[in-house]
Amino acid sequence: MSGLGSGAGAGTTPLPHRSVSNIRSPHTSGNTNPSTPSSSSRPVPSSTFASPSSLRAEEDLLILELGSRKLQIGFAGDACPRGTVWFTPSQLRRVGDFRDWSSESKTNVDWKTRKVTGEKWWTRDHELWEYDVREVDLGLIGDKVEKALREALTKYMLIDSRPRRMACVLPSGLPLPMLSAVLDSLFTRFQPPTISLLSSPVALTVGAGVRSSLIVDLGWRETVVTSVYEFREVNTNRSVRGGRWLVEQTHKLLAKHLPENQKKKEGTTTQDTGDYYLSFEECNDIATRMVWCKAHLSSPKAPKSKAGLPTLHEQDESDPSEAESPIEPSKMVKIPLQSCRSPTTIELPWEALAEPSENTFFDSQYSESSFDDHELPLPLLVYRSLLQLPLDVRALCMSRIIFTGGCANVLGLRGRIFGEVSKLVEERGWDGVIGKGADQMRANPKLKGKKGSRAAVGGPTGVASLSDAGGGQEQDGVWHDAANTAHDACPVEEQLARGQDKTPRVQGKMRAIESLGAWSGASLIAHLKAAPVSTIEREAWLQYGAAGASKPSEVDQKSAARQSLGAGGLMRGAAGNNSWTLGVWGVN
Amino acid sequence: MAPLNPYTYIQCPCSDSASLGRPSDPTSPASADGDEEDNTFDPRAPRANFSLYPLEYLLYCEDCHQIRCPRCIAEEIATYFCPSCLFEVPSSNLKSEGNRCTRSCFQCPICIGPLSVTSIEMPPSDPNLLAPDRAATPHTTYSLICSYCNWSSTEIGIQFDKPNSIHAQLAKIRNGGASRLTAKERKERRKELSHRGGEAAAAAASEAAAGQDVDLETQFANLKLFYTSQLADPNAGDTGFSSLGDLGFSSPSSLSRIMNLYTGGKLHDPRAKSKLGAMREAVTADEGLLEADLDESSLIAQLHQSDFLDTASSTQICSQPPNLGEPHLHGAVRFNSSLRPVPYLLRTKRSKRCPACRHIVSKPEAKVLTTRFRIRLVAGSYIPSISIRRLNLPGPNGPAAPAILGDLLEPLKPVHFVLTFKNPIFESLKVTLGAPAKTPGRFPSKVTVLCPQFDIDANTDVWDEALKDNDRESSSRSRRRAGTESQFQVEVGKIWERGRNWVSIIVEIVPASLKLEAGQDALREDEDVLEIPMFVRIEWEVENGGEDAASGPGRDKDQQEKRELAYWCVLGLGRIKQG
Repeated sequence: MSGLGSGAGAGTTPLPHRSVSNIRSPHTSGNTNPSTPSSSSRPVPSSTFASPSSLRAEEDLLILELGSRKLQIGFAGDACPRGTVWFTPSQLRRVGDFRDWSSESKTNVDWKTRKVTGEKWWTRDHELWEYDVREVDLGLIGDKVEKALREALTKYMLIDSRPRRMACVLPSGLPLPMLSAVLDSLFTRFQPPTISLLSSPVALTVGAGVRSSLIVDLGWRETVVTSVYEFREVNTNRSVRGGRWLVEQTHKLLAKHLPENQKKKEGTTTQDTGDYYLSFEECNDIATRMVWCKAHLSSPKAPKSKAGLPTLHEQDESDPSEAESPIEPSKMVKIPLQSCRSPTTIELPWEALAEPSENTFFDSQYSESSFDDHELPLPLLVYRSLLQLPLDVRALCMSRIIFTGGCANVLGLRGRIFGEVSKLVEERGWDGVIGKGADQMRANPKLKGKKGSRAAVGGPTGVASLSDAGGGQEQDGVWHDAANTAHDACPVEEQLARGQDKTPRVQGKMRAIESLGAWSGASLIAHLKAAPVSTIEREAWLQYGAAGASKPSEVDQKSAARQSLGAGGLMRGAAGNNSWTLGVWGVN
Repeated sequence: MAPLNPYTYIQCPCSDSASLGRPSDPTSPASADGDEEDNTFDPRAPRANFSLYPLEYLLYCEDCHQIRCPRCIAEEIATYFCPSCLFEVPSSNLKSEGNRCTRSCFQCPICIGPLSVTSIEMPPSDPNLLAPDRAATPHTTYSLICSYCNWSSTEIGIQFDKPNSIHAQLAKIRNGGASRLTAKERKERRKELSHRGGEAAAAAASEAAAGQDVDLETQFANLKLFYTSQLADPNAGDTGFSSLGDLGFSSPSSLSRIMNLYTGGKLHDPRAKSKLGAMREAVTADEGLLEADLDESSLIAQLHQSDFLDTASSTQICSQPPNLGEPHLHGAVRFNSSLRPVPYLLRTKRSKRCPACRHIVSKPEAKVLTTRFRIRLVAGSYIPSISIRRLNLPGPNGPAAPAILGDLLEPLKPVHFVLTFKNPIFESLKVTLGAPAKTPGRFPSKVTVLCPQFDIDANTDVWDEALKDNDRESSSRSRRRAGTESQFQVEVGKIWERGRNWVSIIVEIVPASLKLEAGQDALREDEDVLEIPMFVRIEWEVENGGEDAASGPGRDKDQQEKRELAYWCVLGLGRIKQG
């Protein structure tokens, strides 16, 4: 009996042990992390739902990247996000509404009965936000973020709802009201003790391993070209040519080839009416699957660059783009369509599938002067943003071009943009002034002396005076700027520089590099405990909201920097400070 | 048009504070809270969909006496398991090995069917060989086969040597059969090289290897290594990433950095210069810098060759797990041949707590195979359920037509609905209903609740009821509507029918006409569904037994505590016929 009793005792004793070790396991695993030394001095988060367990969950930091159409989430230190949640109309449905699973929705009956007019309705439910804040329901954005994040946490992250620190990777052009709606939703629904904000261009730069870069974000809403110099965004240009246009152009193309009886209303031409004949899902699918981009045709255009007359350019340019005989034998592509009146299969020439990307991103049949500032073709946009940069920044950025965003997946698009920008640089150099007069002046040797002062469109005058040299140095490919001239023989310096920065920085030539992506960059930043642009404490946000943020310039950087060096860890740079900023988002 | 069953949705009170339906007003984020109570809840507002739940989805905290919806509950994970092999995964594995099953459970990348490991019969090299000999040969390979769509991993050129631990094997194989080094192997190889040869040789070798196929995982690892080494450099100071944080130019570090950039360090102490320039960029592939390969003509040619159905659909791409073995991101997964088997996502069993009082509201059995719950406080056993039935009164011209489910409602013709409230708790309830006279939205229907205030008897024992049945039958309280015609009158302020723990009342509706006026937008989805918002307020009394105010049949009725619960609910009654 006693043996049995002791056996039972031995059987029961491991249980509490096991449970304790279960509880402690995240803690001990955290101990191996280099981060734990800092945890001792971390202030206790005094959330309303505080519990002892909330302390341990704080160890891992969640990184979420919000885009126009998807949310990516994962733990800091991972190479890529664990889960991606796309914003879809089914998220807008009520819980318990299983309509999407019914057999009818498969054939998109729903879509057919619905009459959709205007692009807004067509794409609206697939997007998180519209940058035009005037008619946006901010609460709805908060709800959408919450629902998507909840799905991501449950489905992909598999974590409980203890409050965790978060880091948000956001596009730097996000309007303040939306940022505040997102933060509101996150703080009230998920109770993170702090949320750090990181701008995606900077994260992308870190993810590529460089300090300066030119980010060409071929996004959904718009294409944003951001120049990052020493981890700082110095210039941004945007164009509405983005994924949404691409899908719409794809729809236009498909609608053109759709038999007339498949259209809902007879007698109307496709181009004029705002009606949609196919569902967004289908067009989006086809755009991602089949649409490609023609390679940059440099040979027929190169001789014309010497003609130097832009007005002649356009007339000539329209010809080759149409008359250009396809290199490959023209092939018909069959595309099955489901969402039109009755399922059908249309045949398109293979060449036609390059049209949407052509029309969306280049529109090369129009002259340069016909574009508004917000709809510049992408090569021009990239060129102009490079042009606007100061000389030395440009030198660094042009050899660190990073293509990112969903439309970078269009086959051939990156190469095409890169090629066209190179050609523009080759043709024009770094001179913002184009046109007949400029050409004449350039040809006129008498005026050459004055030219430097006249060409100061792109950058600050002090730098632009060098732009003549900038144009000239393109040929030899070596950039001579102030930063590099310092390599004089100094024994002390050489000794110090040993093992460091032996290889000169690549600059002055066009070069594209790969980035791991904004999320992965942010993961690196967080993993290395670097100070984010801004860190917001929950209490402070709930108390003051966005109004509590001080201007970035007002924050005493000295104290923040001193603190960031301390034991508190770099991730909470402004924690002890009462003042906190919203970084680039709070500047305006 | 799909027939519509009448339904009830309940709005969890937790979303009240979030001020539903408020137009976007960034200037006054918290000003409108005061008059929020007067506003009727609009079930059609886009935000309403996020806060409405069927009764079955709601839980109830006994201590806070509040409804708890999935948005306002704290979750804790009881078990992680794979839904395919039902193996429990320890939580420590989750962090290291990711959120997917690392055994042999895979989903088909084409459909989502489960994949099974099947051995591939090698074509016999010698036809004279006997079968047992062939089975004994070590060259049997295995593949994953979908039993639904017949997809096989041989289509993407992947075969396995062993029938088990497919996940580990798959991680080492690229599509097409080429092998790849896992991160661990790469690290080991690098170490080996550095041990064997000189430093330069190792660097050159690994660089050559890395330049060939830098996949995401490797690039990330390289970058991490590079940054760590740069930041760990004692000379580095704080100029590593610290410039991420300061936007202003006021800080001394950024000032000196700028000075350094433009003067080339000549004005400064060279020592300082080297400090500032310490954190440099990644230069080689070994450090994580990767030049983009912009020439995609081979992929375009492949796309040109392939059929539409050879390309992967966007849903298929979305269901692909993030593949760390891919060399680059852009257009990585485009063709069916580049899809990979999808390891099953792990699932969890969660116990739920009330976020306010930390009491457990729902707790499942820890074992994976049981579906039972230890604790489960569903809201359905605390708040009255509402069921809806259409009432067809016999008109002047003949008897009533039987009400058919999903019958369309005639516009502008009054209809009656019977709402039956059923009391699940052991106290009698006092119910007060409030509904706007007109439903919100573009097509307002008129709503009249004929009896907005009533009591429901307690949910006593069924046998009590049976025993008392005789008394009840004679009492006037229960009105059974068996066959007497005089009772087919709808009376205002009177309960239509009542039973042991339920009460039925009548709601009269005049559906709106859905005729569109000129200039109006077309009907939106579900706009023809007649939904009425209704504010339900229930009051009941419990004996105040101190802390544990559990509901039980009262012994001493000296200390009575009044409880109330109020929430909005939405009743979907039917579709209105479109003109």
